[in-house]
Amino acid sequence: MRFMVLVKADRQSEAGVMPSRELLEAMGRFNEQLVQAGVMLAGEGLQPSSKGARVRFSGGKKSVIDGPFAETKELVAGFWIWKVNSRDEAIEWLKRAPFEETEVEIRQVFEVEDFGGELTPEMREREERHRARAEELSKAGKH
Amino acid sequence: MRFMMLMIPKGYETAPPDVKLDAERVKAMMKYNESLQKAGVLLALDGLHPPSSGARVSFAGGKPKVMDGPFPEAKEVVGGYWMIQVRSKEEAVAWASRCPASDDETIEIRRVQELADFSGDVREAIAGLPEMQAGVGQKR
Repeated sequence: MRFMVLVKADRQSEAGVMPSRELLEAMGRFNEQLVQAGVMLAGEGLQPSSKGARVRFSGGKKSVIDGPFAETKELVAGFWIWKVNSRDEAIEWLKRAPFEETEVEIRQVFEVEDFGGELTPEMREREERHRARAEELSKAGKH
Repeated sequence: MRFMMLMIPKGYETAPPDVKLDAERVKAMMKYNESLQKAGVLLALDGLHPPSSGARVSFAGGKPKVMDGPFPEAKEVVGGYWMIQVRSKEEAVAWASRCPASDDETIEIRRVQELADFSGDVREAIAGLPEMQAGVGQKR
């Protein structure tokens, strides 16, 4: 099963302050362990919300709001996608992460099987085609 | 440049672990996903199970403390995401605006950090990252 690991923002990340070299190196070693164990599928950092935007859908209308956004505690600063055998395994991995004050959220990713009867065979096939095509595009180095 | 579009559906913070998705809505969303793909901007996408089946780990003082979901204090939670490759923030906003989202849903657009965004010591410390990302088949 796959899990998304959402690393929450704090004042520093929102201010665009980079972590110390020491912490970055510790995180690099942790990432290496994840790769070697075959756990890591993806991982990225996000720029502060001040460089982002929100599109809000309300009353049939759309409004665009430029960042920064006030709810710093709920904002995402980065994420991983991990492939593990259980939720407990994901939590055990996360406990080993070299964070100092951060809050991190673990959420299971939906797989096609989770949709059961809701997803028709055609939709399922289309979903699989999408993933295969996205992979081809990335392998072809298309940007 | 890469942007992450984070879907924040109002009410998902209190959804039960076995939340039922509406087939019609999923269908509309799949059509939208297809349009992203046809335009060649889609790099990755996923939906997330509700927070009630998730967990939070806080690291106060470097010590991990696990809390099971749901998280009563959370006013908004992520329900899924798209990773897209576009030329500008405006283009990302335009794509988000085309999403067949429901009332009370918000899409947050956030630029993804690239190696070129860093300099000096930091850049040196994370120099191995692109190779690592390519090694696990991550799309850029």
